[in-house]
Amino acid sequence: MSEISQLWIVTRYEFLKHLRRKRLYVILGITLIAELAVLIILPLLMDGYPDNVLVMAAMLTVGPALATIGAVFFAGDAIAGEFENKTGFILFTNPVKRTTLVMGKYLASCAAVIILIVFGYAIMCVSLLAIYGEIPVETAKSFGLCLLFGGSVLSVTFFFSAISKGAMGATVITLVFIMVICGIVESVLMMAGEPYWFILSAGGDSVTLAFGGVELIMEGLMPSGGMGMFPFDYEPLDINLAAISMAGYMVIGFLLSLWRSKRKQLA
Amino acid sequence: MSEPIINIDNLTKYYNKFLALDNLCLKVVENENVGLLGPNGAGKSTTLKILCGLLRSSSGTAYIDGINIAQKPEQALLRIGAIIETPEFYPFLTPEETLSYLGKLRGIRGNGLDQSIKEVIHLVGLDDWLTVKIEKFSRGMKQRLALAQTLLHDPPVLILDEPALGLDPRGVVEFREIIDKVGKEKTVFFASHQLTEVAQICNQVAIIDHGRLLAYDSIAELEKKHQSLERAYLELTGGYVE
Repeated sequence: MSEISQLWIVTRYEFLKHLRRKRLYVILGITLIAELAVLIILPLLMDGYPDNVLVMAAMLTVGPALATIGAVFFAGDAIAGEFENKTGFILFTNPVKRTTLVMGKYLASCAAVIILIVFGYAIMCVSLLAIYGEIPVETAKSFGLCLLFGGSVLSVTFFFSAISKGAMGATVITLVFIMVICGIVESVLMMAGEPYWFILSAGGDSVTLAFGGVELIMEGLMPSGGMGMFPFDYEPLDINLAAISMAGYMVIGFLLSLWRSKRKQLA
Repeated sequence: MSEPIINIDNLTKYYNKFLALDNLCLKVVENENVGLLGPNGAGKSTTLKILCGLLRSSSGTAYIDGINIAQKPEQALLRIGAIIETPEFYPFLTPEETLSYLGKLRGIRGNGLDQSIKEVIHLVGLDDWLTVKIEKFSRGMKQRLALAQTLLHDPPVLILDEPALGLDPRGVVEFREIIDKVGKEKTVFFASHQLTEVAQICNQVAIIDHGRLLAYDSIAELEKKHQSLERAYLELTGGYVE
């Protein structure tokens, strides 16, 4: 049997597992609640929706958070779980390469994360059409960056899953890495006026910034001098470089997870 | 003597500094049922895991039907049906979906796969549970499913690590009958602590301790030399207690 056939089989059944678990539906529900919260609360606080459709689009962009949560939920136990839960004793004794299994799991996780991202953007598009009668063309750029961010977070999560002994460890390490370590380093570099496009969390920021720079968003939300709250000069994020960085995380993270998974023994 | 279907050649395994297998050599001829006996920590599970490609040996080689398991694991694994430790299954899938997944990975398709699934499920007595999610299964039921998946692709070699663990007395008897039936056309290599079980299923026994082979002989011969299989086991692994 060819490796491609086996890859397809693994992807299908791993995706079936994602569908069977409640996590996907829970995250879809959280997405809906988050978007509804923005749609309901924002006009109450601001006395109506922002005049600029791009500002509203930025506010409705939950993609980076979705991608992060989805990636750790679908990928945190992808490899570590097989060892921790002993399901590897059944799966790894099949005539299929370890790399094929990991690739199939990765593709299945990608499919699940894509569903989340598409769902979030679908709500955004419907909302923008309903409120403004238009969907800004920047939405496509934001969507593409979000998919790239989702793929990069998945790869990093897969790597941590490959090196961790347990699924919980992998999930926690990934969340700490992205939300805490990357977040802090990004903020420090930004305040210091240094480039920060290579930090993974900056990739998540690029998804929102596709609709316009921070100044546009702040002015849209605080028309009476929005930029006054920034007491420092900061370097705007270069979105193109952030995209290249995300692609790098995606490829390198995935290759490292393949390499580590292949070497991992099930004692 | 025909070519061994399981050939363990000077297998050594270190877990950091701990020596689990010490130049273990063992050859199992086709269609023999061999029991692997030894006390806890003797190296039984380590041996089986190396044969299944789950562990890499520190040195030495293992062959399944002439195929080096370290160099061509996928080819070797196609010749094996294995139960290692207490396997777990994905709780959100049913036995039908699980066996379908495993069967497809092993190259079985279409009507042939459906037929194989029906046969093995019937053999292990899980007909009424085929479409029930495995999260509802007891440990004994999972063990039966584990046995079913070993037979799915009709491999020539069965590698079983305490396969009757968790089964109720009736289940143990049924398991023994299944192995007795399929063992006539297959090679069964089976680790256990249960001497009576081994004596009933196997015709050859390998006794190991501290990673070394202490004896490999027919049960009849061991009984002749040591009066009983139990005495042989106790004397070889640490002195017989009167």
